Amino acid sequence: MRINTAIILLAFCAGPVVANPAMEGDWMLEIVPTGAPIIGLLEVEPNGDNWEAFVEGGPAPVHIDGDSITVDIDSRDIRGFVFVLKLDGHLEGGKLSGSYTVESEAEVSFSPGTWSATRYTPEARPTKPAPVDLSGIWKPAAGVDMRKYSMDLTPAAKSWHDGYLMHYDQPNVRCISPGIVAMVAWGGYPFEVLESENRLTFLYEVDSEVRRIFLDDSEAPEFYPGSGMGYSTGRWEDSQLVVETTHLVPNVRDFRGEPVSENARLEEVYSLSEDGQRLNAVITLHDPENYERPPIRRRAWTRDPDTEIYPYECDPDSFYRQMYNENRLDMYFERSKRRF
Amino acid sequence: MRFIRLTVVVMALAAGAAAYAHHSFAAEFLEDQTRTIEGTVTEVWFKNPHVRYYIDITNDDGEPESWDVRGSSPTILVRRGWTPKTIQEGDRITVHGHLGRDGRKLMSWIYVELEDGTRLGSEY
Repeated sequence: MRINTAIILLAFCAGPVVANPAMEGDWMLEIVPTGAPIIGLLEVEPNGDNWEAFVEGGPAPVHIDGDSITVDIDSRDIRGFVFVLKLDGHLEGGKLSGSYTVESEAEVSFSPGTWSATRYTPEARPTKPAPVDLSGIWKPAAGVDMRKYSMDLTPAAKSWHDGYLMHYDQPNVRCISPGIVAMVAWGGYPFEVLESENRLTFLYEVDSEVRRIFLDDSEAPEFYPGSGMGYSTGRWEDSQLVVETTHLVPNVRDFRGEPVSENARLEEVYSLSEDGQRLNAVITLHDPENYERPPIRRRAWTRDPDTEIYPYECDPDSFYRQMYNENRLDMYFERSKRRF
Repeated sequence: MRFIRLTVVVMALAAGAAAYAHHSFAAEFLEDQTRTIEGTVTEVWFKNPHVRYYIDITNDDGEPESWDVRGSSPTILVRRGWTPKTIQEGDRITVHGHLGRDGRKLMSWIYVELEDGTRLGSEY
Protein backbone atom coordinates (compact mmCIF):
# COMPACT_ATOMS: atom_id res chain seq x y z
CA MET A 1 0.00 0.00 0.00
CA ARG A 2 1.29 3.37 -0.93
CA ILE A 3 2.02 5.68 1.96
CA ASN A 4 -0.28 8.42 0.66
CA THR A 5 -3.19 6.01 0.41
CA ALA A 6 -2.52 4.80 3.94
CA ILE A 7 -2.59 8.36 5.29
CA ILE A 8 -5.89 9.08 3.54
CA LEU A 9 -7.45 5.91 4.90
CA LEU A 10 -6.18 6.63 8.39
CA ALA A 11 -7.60 10.14 8.28
CA PHE A 12 -10.93 8.79 7.05
CA CYS A 13 -11.10 6.25 9.89
CA ALA A 14 -10.21 8.84 12.51
CA GLY A 15 -13.06 11.09 11.38
CA PRO A 16 -13.09 14.86 11.30
CA VAL A 17 -12.10 16.74 14.43
CA VAL A 18 -15.13 18.66 15.65
CA ALA A 19 -15.06 21.01 18.58
CA ASN A 20 -17.80 20.42 21.06
CA PRO A 21 -20.20 23.38 20.78
CA ALA A 22 -20.92 22.96 24.49
CA MET A 23 -17.59 24.68 25.09
CA GLU A 24 -19.04 27.97 23.90
CA GLY A 25 -20.03 30.56 26.47
CA ASP A 26 -18.88 32.11 29.71
CA TRP A 27 -17.15 30.16 32.46
CA MET A 28 -15.94 31.06 35.92
CA LEU A 29 -12.40 29.81 36.02
CA GLU A 30 -10.58 28.78 39.17
CA ILE A 31 -6.86 28.08 39.18
CA VAL A 32 -5.46 26.29 42.19
CA PRO A 33 -1.72 26.65 42.77
CA THR A 34 0.03 25.74 46.03
CA GLY A 35 -1.06 29.05 47.56
CA ALA A 36 -4.34 30.91 47.43
CA PRO A 37 -6.58 30.18 44.40
CA ILE A 38 -7.14 32.76 41.69
CA ILE A 39 -10.32 33.19 39.70
CA GLY A 40 -11.38 34.85 36.48
CA LEU A 41 -13.98 35.03 33.75
CA LEU A 42 -13.25 32.76 30.77
CA GLU A 43 -15.19 33.58 27.59
CA VAL A 44 -15.10 31.01 24.77
CA GLU A 45 -16.50 32.01 21.39
CA PRO A 46 -16.52 30.62 17.86
CA ASN A 47 -14.80 32.79 15.29
CA GLY A 48 -15.43 31.44 11.79
CA ASP A 49 -13.92 27.97 11.67
CA ASN A 50 -11.86 28.64 14.78
CA TRP A 51 -12.39 29.45 18.41
CA GLU A 52 -11.17 32.32 20.48
CA ALA A 53 -11.06 32.87 24.22
CA PHE A 54 -10.68 35.78 26.58
CA VAL A 55 -9.77 35.75 30.26
CA GLU A 56 -10.72 38.77 32.38
CA GLY A 57 -11.19 40.68 29.11
CA GLY A 58 -7.80 39.84 27.62
CA PRO A 59 -7.01 37.42 24.78
CA ALA A 60 -6.06 33.85 25.68
CA PRO A 61 -5.11 31.53 22.79
CA VAL A 62 -7.38 28.48 22.85
CA HIS A 63 -7.47 25.12 21.07
CA ILE A 64 -10.52 22.89 21.20
CA ASP A 65 -10.56 19.33 19.93
CA GLY A 66 -13.72 17.41 20.71
CA ASP A 67 -14.08 17.53 24.48
CA SER A 68 -10.46 18.58 25.02
CA ILE A 69 -9.37 22.17 25.52
CA THR A 70 -6.11 24.02 26.01
CA VAL A 71 -5.92 27.69 27.01
CA ASP A 72 -2.81 29.87 27.41
CA ILE A 73 -3.18 32.71 29.90
CA ASP A 74 -0.45 35.30 30.22
CA SER A 75 -0.15 36.69 33.71
CA ARG A 76 2.45 38.52 35.77
CA ASP A 77 3.75 38.14 39.27
CA ILE A 78 3.79 40.95 41.82
CA ARG A 79 7.17 42.12 40.53
CA GLY A 80 6.05 42.43 36.93
CA PHE A 81 7.61 39.25 35.52
CA VAL A 82 5.40 37.63 32.93
CA PHE A 83 4.49 33.95 32.88
CA VAL A 84 2.03 31.83 30.95
CA LEU A 85 -0.42 29.46 32.57
CA LYS A 86 -0.87 26.60 30.09
CA LEU A 87 -4.20 24.99 30.86
CA ASP A 88 -4.94 21.51 29.54
CA GLY A 89 -8.29 19.92 30.31
CA HIS A 90 -11.55 18.50 29.09
CA LEU A 91 -15.29 18.90 29.31
CA GLU A 92 -17.16 16.36 31.40
CA GLY A 93 -20.52 16.58 33.06
CA GLY A 94 -20.92 20.21 32.04
CA LYS A 95 -17.70 21.21 33.80
CA LEU A 96 -14.22 21.96 32.49
CA SER A 97 -11.27 20.71 34.49
CA GLY A 98 -7.66 19.73 34.13
CA SER A 99 -4.13 20.64 35.10
CA TYR A 100 -1.78 23.45 34.13
CA THR A 101 1.91 24.15 33.85
CA VAL A 102 3.76 27.46 34.19
CA GLU A 103 6.11 28.80 31.50
CA SER A 104 8.29 31.85 31.96
CA GLU A 105 11.67 33.23 30.98
CA ALA A 106 12.02 34.37 34.58
CA GLU A 107 11.91 32.33 37.74
CA VAL A 108 8.43 32.93 39.05
CA SER A 109 7.11 31.40 42.23
CA PHE A 110 3.70 30.50 40.83
CA SER A 111 3.34 26.73 41.11
CA PRO A 112 1.74 24.27 38.67
CA GLY A 113 -1.58 22.83 39.78
CA THR A 114 -5.13 22.09 38.77
CA TRP A 115 -7.95 24.16 37.33
CA SER A 116 -11.67 23.95 36.82
CA ALA A 117 -14.39 26.07 35.28
CA THR A 118 -18.13 26.09 35.79
CA ARG A 119 -20.79 27.85 33.75
CA TYR A 120 -21.07 31.53 34.52
CA THR A 121 -24.44 33.22 34.26
CA PRO A 122 -24.68 36.71 35.72
CA GLU A 123 -27.27 36.82 38.46
CA ALA A 124 -30.10 39.31 38.26
CA ARG A 125 -28.98 42.45 40.03
CA PRO A 126 -31.06 43.07 43.16
CA THR A 127 -32.43 46.56 43.49
CA LYS A 128 -33.51 46.54 47.12
CA PRO A 129 -30.73 47.98 49.26
CA ALA A 130 -29.55 46.17 52.39
CA PRO A 131 -26.42 48.07 53.46
CA VAL A 132 -23.75 46.37 55.53
CA ASP A 133 -21.06 47.86 57.73
CA LEU A 134 -17.81 48.29 55.77
CA SER A 135 -16.22 50.69 58.22
CA GLY A 136 -12.74 49.84 59.43
CA ILE A 137 -9.26 49.17 58.12
CA TRP A 138 -8.76 46.58 55.41
CA LYS A 139 -5.47 44.94 54.50
CA PRO A 140 -4.79 43.03 51.26
CA ALA A 141 -5.44 39.30 51.15
CA ALA A 142 -3.53 36.84 48.96
CA GLY A 143 -4.77 35.34 45.71
CA VAL A 144 -8.00 36.01 43.82
CA ASP A 145 -6.67 38.27 41.04
CA MET A 146 -5.61 36.66 37.77
CA ARG A 147 -3.30 39.61 36.99
CA LYS A 148 -4.04 39.02 33.31
CA TYR A 149 -1.20 40.62 31.43
CA SER A 150 -2.37 41.45 27.91
CA MET A 151 -5.70 43.09 27.23
CA ASP A 152 -7.83 43.47 24.12
CA LEU A 153 -6.65 46.94 23.15
CA THR A 154 -8.13 49.03 20.36
CA PRO A 155 -5.68 49.78 17.50
CA ALA A 156 -5.19 53.34 18.78
CA ALA A 157 -4.50 52.19 22.32
CA LYS A 158 -2.11 49.53 21.10
CA SER A 159 -0.22 52.09 19.04
CA TRP A 160 0.13 54.40 22.06
CA HIS A 161 1.08 51.55 24.36
CA ASP A 162 3.78 50.28 22.01
CA GLY A 163 5.74 53.45 22.82
CA TYR A 164 5.34 53.22 26.57
CA LEU A 165 8.55 52.89 28.57
CA MET A 166 7.72 51.56 31.96
CA HIS A 167 10.36 53.16 34.10
CA TYR A 168 10.28 56.55 32.38
CA ASP A 169 6.53 56.90 32.10
CA GLN A 170 5.16 55.26 35.23
CA PRO A 171 3.66 58.06 37.34
CA ASN A 172 4.30 56.71 40.83
CA VAL A 173 8.08 56.38 40.45
CA ARG A 174 7.94 60.20 40.39
CA CYS A 175 5.57 60.25 43.37
CA ILE A 176 2.61 61.08 41.15
CA SER A 177 -0.52 59.26 42.25
CA PRO A 178 -1.55 56.78 39.56
CA GLY A 179 -5.25 57.34 40.26
CA ILE A 180 -8.05 55.06 41.31
CA VAL A 181 -8.05 52.67 38.34
CA ALA A 182 -4.54 51.44 39.09
CA MET A 183 -4.60 52.00 42.83
CA VAL A 184 -7.71 50.02 43.64
CA ALA A 185 -6.16 46.85 42.25
CA TRP A 186 -2.73 47.14 43.83
CA GLY A 187 -1.59 45.05 46.74
CA GLY A 188 0.62 45.92 49.63
CA TYR A 189 -1.21 48.76 51.33
CA PRO A 190 -4.29 48.97 53.57
CA PHE A 191 -7.19 51.39 53.28
CA GLU A 192 -9.79 52.61 55.75
CA VAL A 193 -13.51 53.06 55.22
CA LEU A 194 -15.35 55.79 57.12
CA GLU A 195 -19.12 55.85 57.04
CA SER A 196 -21.22 58.99 57.37
CA GLU A 197 -24.69 60.03 56.22
CA ASN A 198 -25.05 59.38 52.49
CA ARG A 199 -21.32 59.11 52.09
CA LEU A 200 -18.48 56.63 52.35
CA THR A 201 -14.93 57.90 52.57
CA PHE A 202 -12.05 55.64 51.59
CA LEU A 203 -8.64 56.62 52.93
CA TYR A 204 -5.89 54.89 50.99
CA GLU A 205 -2.47 54.58 52.53
CA VAL A 206 -0.72 54.50 49.17
CA ASP A 207 -0.20 58.06 47.99
CA SER A 208 -2.36 59.24 50.95
CA GLU A 209 -5.32 59.44 48.57
CA VAL A 210 -8.82 60.27 49.78
CA ARG A 211 -11.93 59.20 47.98
CA ARG A 212 -15.52 60.20 48.62
CA ILE A 213 -18.32 57.93 47.46
CA PHE A 214 -21.68 59.67 47.37
CA LEU A 215 -24.66 57.44 48.16
CA ASP A 216 -27.50 59.92 47.66
CA ASP A 217 -27.85 59.84 43.86
CA SER A 218 -26.11 63.19 43.64
CA GLU A 219 -24.42 64.07 40.39
CA ALA A 220 -21.07 65.72 40.03
CA PRO A 221 -21.27 69.52 40.23
CA GLU A 222 -21.13 71.35 36.94
CA PHE A 223 -17.56 71.81 35.70
CA TYR A 224 -16.32 69.34 38.31
CA PRO A 225 -12.68 68.88 37.30
CA GLY A 226 -11.41 65.54 36.16
CA SER A 227 -8.73 63.83 38.22
CA GLY A 228 -7.01 60.54 38.75
CA MET A 229 -9.48 59.71 41.52
CA GLY A 230 -12.54 60.87 39.57
CA TYR A 231 -16.04 61.35 40.97
CA SER A 232 -17.61 58.31 42.63
CA THR A 233 -21.22 57.46 43.36
CA GLY A 234 -22.40 54.34 45.11
CA ARG A 235 -25.56 52.33 45.63
CA TRP A 236 -26.46 49.25 47.58
CA GLU A 237 -27.77 46.30 45.63
CA ASP A 238 -28.87 44.08 48.49
CA SER A 239 -25.70 43.88 50.57
CA GLN A 240 -23.35 44.61 47.65
CA LEU A 241 -21.90 48.06 47.27
CA VAL A 242 -21.68 49.12 43.63
CA VAL A 243 -19.44 52.11 43.00
CA GLU A 244 -19.22 53.92 39.68
CA THR A 245 -16.49 56.43 38.97
CA THR A 246 -16.35 58.96 36.14
CA HIS A 247 -14.62 62.35 35.66
CA LEU A 248 -11.28 60.63 35.24
CA VAL A 249 -8.30 62.04 33.35
CA PRO A 250 -6.14 60.19 30.83
CA ASN A 251 -3.99 57.80 32.80
CA VAL A 252 -2.58 54.28 32.88
CA ARG A 253 -4.47 51.21 34.04
CA ASP A 254 -1.59 49.43 35.70
CA PHE A 255 2.16 49.73 35.79
CA ARG A 256 2.24 47.98 32.44
CA GLY A 257 0.98 51.27 31.08
CA GLU A 258 -2.18 50.48 29.13
CA PRO A 259 -4.11 53.73 28.70
CA VAL A 260 -7.30 54.91 30.39
CA SER A 261 -9.31 57.66 28.66
CA GLU A 262 -11.07 60.60 30.26
CA ASN A 263 -14.38 59.07 29.22
CA ALA A 264 -13.75 55.81 31.04
CA ARG A 265 -16.10 54.51 33.71
CA LEU A 266 -14.83 52.30 36.53
CA GLU A 267 -17.27 49.93 38.20
CA GLU A 268 -16.42 48.25 41.50
CA VAL A 269 -18.70 45.72 43.18
CA TYR A 270 -17.85 45.11 46.83
CA SER A 271 -19.25 42.20 48.81
CA LEU A 272 -18.69 41.35 52.45
CA SER A 273 -18.32 37.81 53.76
CA GLU A 274 -20.97 36.51 56.13
CA ASP A 275 -18.67 36.87 59.13
CA GLY A 276 -17.88 40.46 58.09
CA GLN A 277 -14.13 39.84 58.06
CA ARG A 278 -13.38 39.59 54.35
CA LEU A 279 -14.15 42.11 51.64
CA ASN A 280 -14.15 41.10 47.96
CA ALA A 281 -14.26 43.33 44.93
CA VAL A 282 -14.78 42.82 41.21
CA ILE A 283 -13.34 45.80 39.35
CA THR A 284 -14.31 46.42 35.74
CA LEU A 285 -13.01 49.20 33.54
CA HIS A 286 -15.43 50.34 30.83
CA ASP A 287 -13.37 52.27 28.31
CA PRO A 288 -14.31 51.48 24.69
CA GLU A 289 -11.86 54.09 23.39
CA ASN A 290 -9.03 51.86 24.56
CA TYR A 291 -10.40 48.35 25.13
CA GLU A 292 -12.46 46.11 22.87
CA ARG A 293 -13.51 44.23 26.04
CA PRO A 294 -13.58 45.61 29.56
CA PRO A 295 -10.55 44.55 31.65
CA ILE A 296 -11.49 42.90 34.94
CA ARG A 297 -9.52 42.82 38.18
CA ARG A 298 -10.45 41.11 41.44
CA ARG A 299 -9.24 41.89 44.91
CA ALA A 300 -9.82 40.75 48.47
CA TRP A 301 -9.00 42.29 51.84
CA THR A 302 -9.37 41.22 55.45
CA ARG A 303 -10.11 43.38 58.45
CA ASP A 304 -7.10 44.58 60.39
CA PRO A 305 -8.09 46.32 63.61
CA ASP A 306 -4.48 46.31 64.80
CA THR A 307 -3.08 48.91 62.45
CA GLU A 308 -3.69 52.49 61.36
CA ILE A 309 -3.32 54.21 58.02
CA TYR A 310 0.26 55.47 57.95
CA PRO A 311 1.39 58.67 56.24
CA TYR A 312 2.81 58.16 52.77
CA GLU A 313 5.56 60.71 52.31
CA CYS A 314 7.06 60.46 48.86
CA ASP A 315 10.09 62.26 47.47
CA PRO A 316 10.81 62.06 43.72
CA ASP A 317 14.43 63.13 44.21
CA SER A 318 15.64 59.57 44.02
CA PHE A 319 14.03 59.08 40.60
CA TYR A 320 15.52 62.23 39.11
CA ARG A 321 18.88 61.59 40.76
CA GLN A 322 19.08 58.23 39.05
CA MET A 323 18.14 59.76 35.70
CA TYR A 324 20.76 62.46 36.20
CA ASN A 325 23.49 60.03 37.24
CA GLU A 326 22.80 57.86 34.23
CA ASN A 327 22.60 60.77 31.76
CA ARG A 328 18.99 59.93 30.97
CA LEU A 329 17.32 63.16 32.05
CA ASP A 330 17.19 64.49 28.48
CA MET A 331 15.40 61.38 27.34
CA TYR A 332 13.01 61.65 30.24
CA PHE A 333 12.02 65.22 29.38
CA GLU A 334 11.88 64.51 25.65
CA ARG A 335 9.09 62.11 26.50
CA SER A 336 7.04 64.66 28.44
CA LYS A 337 4.48 65.28 25.70
CA ARG A 338 3.45 61.66 25.44
CA ARG A 339 3.29 61.15 29.19
CA PHE A 340 -0.03 61.47 31.02
CA MET B 1 17.24 40.92 72.28
CA ARG B 2 17.08 37.67 70.41
CA PHE B 3 13.29 37.99 70.25
CA ILE B 4 13.60 41.44 68.73
CA ARG B 5 15.98 40.23 66.08
CA LEU B 6 13.74 37.34 65.21
CA THR B 7 10.78 39.66 64.92
CA VAL B 8 12.66 41.88 62.52
CA VAL B 9 13.69 38.95 60.35
CA VAL B 10 10.17 37.53 60.25
CA MET B 11 8.67 40.87 59.36
CA ALA B 12 11.08 41.16 56.50
CA LEU B 13 9.97 37.82 55.09
CA ALA B 14 6.59 39.32 54.36
CA ALA B 15 8.03 42.59 53.13
CA GLY B 16 9.62 41.14 50.01
CA ALA B 17 6.42 40.19 48.27
CA ALA B 18 4.88 43.57 48.84
CA ALA B 19 7.98 45.50 47.86
CA TYR B 20 7.09 45.72 44.21
CA ALA B 21 3.36 45.76 44.55
CA HIS B 22 3.10 49.04 42.72
CA HIS B 23 6.29 49.32 40.70
CA SER B 24 7.54 47.04 38.04
CA PHE B 25 10.61 45.28 39.37
CA ALA B 26 10.98 43.65 35.95
CA ALA B 27 11.50 47.04 34.30
CA GLU B 28 14.65 47.75 36.26
CA PHE B 29 16.14 44.54 37.64
CA LEU B 30 17.37 41.21 36.39
CA GLU B 31 15.41 38.43 38.00
CA ASP B 32 18.04 35.77 37.33
CA GLN B 33 21.22 37.67 38.23
CA THR B 34 22.15 38.23 41.86
CA ARG B 35 25.28 39.39 43.63
CA THR B 36 26.52 40.04 47.15
CA ILE B 37 28.29 43.31 47.97
CA GLU B 38 29.69 44.70 51.20
CA GLY B 39 30.25 48.35 51.95
CA THR B 40 29.74 51.43 54.10
CA VAL B 41 26.46 53.30 54.13
CA THR B 42 26.91 56.87 52.89
CA GLU B 43 23.27 57.92 52.76
CA VAL B 44 20.00 56.62 54.12
CA TRP B 45 16.92 57.34 51.98
CA PHE B 46 14.01 56.18 54.09
CA LYS B 47 11.22 57.58 51.93
CA ASN B 48 8.71 56.49 49.34
CA PRO B 49 8.50 55.29 46.71
CA HIS B 50 11.19 52.89 47.98
CA VAL B 51 13.72 52.81 50.79
CA ARG B 52 17.27 53.15 49.49
CA TYR B 53 20.72 52.93 50.97
CA TYR B 54 23.65 54.40 49.09
CA ILE B 55 26.79 52.44 49.91
CA ASP B 56 30.45 52.68 48.95
CA ILE B 57 32.17 49.42 48.19
CA THR B 58 35.56 48.31 46.90
CA ASN B 59 35.18 46.19 43.76
CA ASP B 60 37.16 43.10 42.83
CA ASP B 61 39.81 45.30 41.15
CA GLY B 62 40.32 47.28 44.34
CA GLU B 63 38.55 50.35 42.98
CA PRO B 64 35.83 52.32 44.83
CA GLU B 65 32.26 52.14 43.60
CA SER B 66 29.05 53.71 44.83
CA TRP B 67 25.90 51.56 44.76
CA ASP B 68 22.22 52.32 45.12
CA VAL B 69 20.47 49.44 46.93
CA ARG B 70 16.69 49.40 47.25
CA GLY B 71 13.93 47.65 49.08
CA SER B 72 10.36 48.10 50.09
CA SER B 73 8.16 51.04 50.99
CA PRO B 74 8.82 52.67 54.39
CA THR B 75 5.29 52.07 55.65
CA ILE B 76 5.54 48.39 54.88
CA LEU B 77 8.92 48.14 56.63
CA VAL B 78 8.13 50.19 59.74
CA ARG B 79 4.97 48.19 60.43
CA ARG B 80 7.26 45.27 61.03
CA GLY B 81 9.97 47.06 62.97
CA TRP B 82 12.48 48.12 60.28
CA THR B 83 12.86 51.83 60.99
CA PRO B 84 15.11 54.66 59.74
CA LYS B 85 17.40 53.91 62.70
CA THR B 86 17.88 50.24 61.83
CA ILE B 87 20.66 51.11 59.35
CA GLN B 88 22.47 54.45 59.60
CA GLU B 89 25.23 56.32 57.80
CA GLY B 90 28.63 54.81 58.54
CA ASP B 91 27.26 51.32 59.15
CA ARG B 92 28.93 48.43 57.38
CA ILE B 93 26.36 46.23 55.65
CA THR B 94 26.32 43.28 53.31
CA VAL B 95 23.64 43.27 50.65
CA HIS B 96 22.54 40.34 48.53
CA GLY B 97 20.10 41.07 45.75
CA HIS B 98 19.08 41.33 42.13
CA LEU B 99 21.30 43.38 39.85
CA GLY B 100 20.02 46.35 37.90
CA ARG B 101 19.64 46.10 34.14
CA ASP B 102 22.30 47.38 31.73
CA GLY B 103 25.17 47.01 34.17
CA ARG B 104 23.97 49.82 36.43
CA LYS B 105 25.24 49.88 40.02
CA LEU B 106 21.78 49.26 41.25
CA MET B 107 20.54 46.44 43.43
CA SER B 108 17.19 45.26 44.76
CA TRP B 109 17.89 43.52 48.01
CA ILE B 110 16.88 40.00 48.85
CA TYR B 111 18.49 40.47 52.24
CA VAL B 112 20.63 42.97 54.09
CA GLU B 113 23.05 41.70 56.73
CA LEU B 114 24.12 43.99 59.56
CA GLU B 115 27.57 43.99 61.14
CA ASP B 116 26.37 41.88 64.06
CA GLY B 117 25.12 39.21 61.68
CA THR B 118 21.43 40.08 61.84
CA ARG B 119 19.90 39.35 58.47
CA LEU B 120 16.95 41.43 57.30
CA GLY B 121 14.85 40.32 54.39
CA SER B 122 14.21 37.16 52.51
CA GLU B 123 13.70 35.76 49.09
CA TYR B 124 10.36 36.57 47.57
